[in-house]
Amino acid sequence: MRVKKISLLGHKDHGKSTLIGSMLMQTGAATKVRIEEAKKYSEKKGKTFEPAFILDSFAEEREREMTYDTTRAQIKYKNNAFEFIDVPGHEELIKNMISGASYGDIALLLVSALPEEGIRDQTKRHVFLAQMLGMNRLIVAVNKMDKIGYNEERFAKIKEDLTHFLKKINFNTNNVKFVPISAYKGENLTTKSRNIRWYAGKCLADLLCEDVKEGRKGEKLRILVQGIIGVGKDSYIAGKVVSGKINSGERVKIFPSGRECEASILMVKNKKAKSAKAGENIAIKASPRIANEAKGSIILPKSEKITPIKEVRSLIFIIRKPETWKTANIYGNKVGCEIKISKVVEASSGDVLPGSSFSPLNAAHSIIKLERPMLIEDYNENKELGRFVLSDSKGFFGIGISEG
Amino acid sequence: MIKQDLNILEEKSIFILREAKAKFENVAALWSMGKDSTTMLALARKAFLGKIPFPVIHIDNSIDFPETYKFRQDLARKWKLNLIVAESEIKPDLIGAACCGKNKPETLKKVLDEHGFDALIVSIRRDEHGIRAKERYMSPRDKDFKWNYKDQPAELWDDYSSKMGTSGHIRVHPLLDWNEIDIWNYVRRERIPVNPLYFSRNGYRYRSLGCTHCTVPLRSSAKSIDAIIKELETTKEEERSGRSMDKEREMVMQKLRSLGYM
Repeated sequence: MRVKKISLLGHKDHGKSTLIGSMLMQTGAATKVRIEEAKKYSEKKGKTFEPAFILDSFAEEREREMTYDTTRAQIKYKNNAFEFIDVPGHEELIKNMISGASYGDIALLLVSALPEEGIRDQTKRHVFLAQMLGMNRLIVAVNKMDKIGYNEERFAKIKEDLTHFLKKINFNTNNVKFVPISAYKGENLTTKSRNIRWYAGKCLADLLCEDVKEGRKGEKLRILVQGIIGVGKDSYIAGKVVSGKINSGERVKIFPSGRECEASILMVKNKKAKSAKAGENIAIKASPRIANEAKGSIILPKSEKITPIKEVRSLIFIIRKPETWKTANIYGNKVGCEIKISKVVEASSGDVLPGSSFSPLNAAHSIIKLERPMLIEDYNENKELGRFVLSDSKGFFGIGISEG
Repeated sequence: MIKQDLNILEEKSIFILREAKAKFENVAALWSMGKDSTTMLALARKAFLGKIPFPVIHIDNSIDFPETYKFRQDLARKWKLNLIVAESEIKPDLIGAACCGKNKPETLKKVLDEHGFDALIVSIRRDEHGIRAKERYMSPRDKDFKWNYKDQPAELWDDYSSKMGTSGHIRVHPLLDWNEIDIWNYVRRERIPVNPLYFSRNGYRYRSLGCTHCTVPLRSSAKSIDAIIKELETTKEEERSGRSMDKEREMVMQKLRSLGYM
């Protein structure tokens, strides 16, 4: 069964872990032990049952009642399978949020309806990041409706304000749905709530069942080469087809060496095959000389003209100030780079900020100057070849997507 | 328990195994002869066109089941494994979590130092345990084996390069996405050999295998892979409920893992 991956988003304490905990309970996915444990821990803390404890497993997470790091939980619902990716809402933990959310197909944003909570900077920043991470479908669950007397106006106001922001960042609002819920009480999750009769739409789980139109994947052949496999005296180039298709016997070109090679023996996993398609791990027999220099390369159709570039127009997001020496990690290659800021964008509002000084947790349209030319494609056309991870000697500090 | 698409899981695991081999100097894998690490070896055979290109380590405390030793011997020969048996000493005064927390990591540390391994493939899965669910596909351990779970590096877009060059080693987790039932479905589909202890004898079977001191069998009549799969479709019991060291629950596992346990 194909499992839809749903990344939770939202400000801390707006109810992400509680929502997943309640979904696990309602669909019977939580094991006896986990429920018992969550019960015991709730009692220990002098609370009525807190579903979030089913998810938060670190001692520190339960103690402080906040999620530190991402985790996952699966449920079955009406012939669908969902995997919820829980992420921390706290600002300082944004790298953990990015790690989790990057695996999502659908974004599920929690916004607390309480007047003192509502749409926060972090709420909007998460949506901004979700879009950069490639999620183009969003469900907004307006939470804690039970605590505001299921007030329809409050729901409408949040919907209006958030829609305004989504339009500003060019999020396709046709792919956005809003649903009023109570994660804690379990309302409008897997059944319609009697307390929210004014809401005519589907419950949350039914919204998640709706099928997504897959964005068109690039049709041109692209293989990311990971390394070489030696079998006896033979060498194979091993990699993954990220788009398009390759036929056995086809002549292909390898970037950056520019060498050509014939896929006379094409292996899909460990079996000889006539062709291979996107998503498959393959190996192509090649001369040792060609194989040895192929690590980190891209394989393309022989006849295709490509233009490797040293300057990449990109949108980047940083989580901290980088050091002077930095790299863009592009499909497994670490390439030294410089960042030239063109326009700073505040991720929590979508506003363009004056000047080119760039503070963490914000984004910027920039030119990334690479130390060597790379094959980079428009992120909207081919995700795997249009994105990069930014790092320095301290590790990860940001992400970037090519704007073509 | 949700049955996932085996082809998707398989491609992802193969990608991670190949990535580990391509990016690290000196890779090894842990093999406990259980269903998970044996499945990982089967995936590695596919990933590397028939021959597993790294050594496999068994941390041998000499108190595993006789069936387990027999299984080790048979499969090591059949699959031509480069097997490293690392003997760990069981101290009689330590039991349960204290025993696992001390013996296994200490022995492993010695092997890694001796051979200079910089990456270790470990066949844990998210659905086994809440703490394991928090893991990354590639996860650094410092030179004292500590897992800094409070500050795990970011991981996205199949990029593992920002984690390289740490002073310790990297744990590689190719089976993180798999559920217990997926393992059995794959074992059936690929005809992967499994330890006979998983099958019911006299009304009991082992669902998760550890050493003879700390593993107890569960009541079950499942005598075949089909029967095991059927059993798992409806169970509400946890997989590792027969493993005494997990008994003290999350906090123990968290402590063990932060100290270098698998």
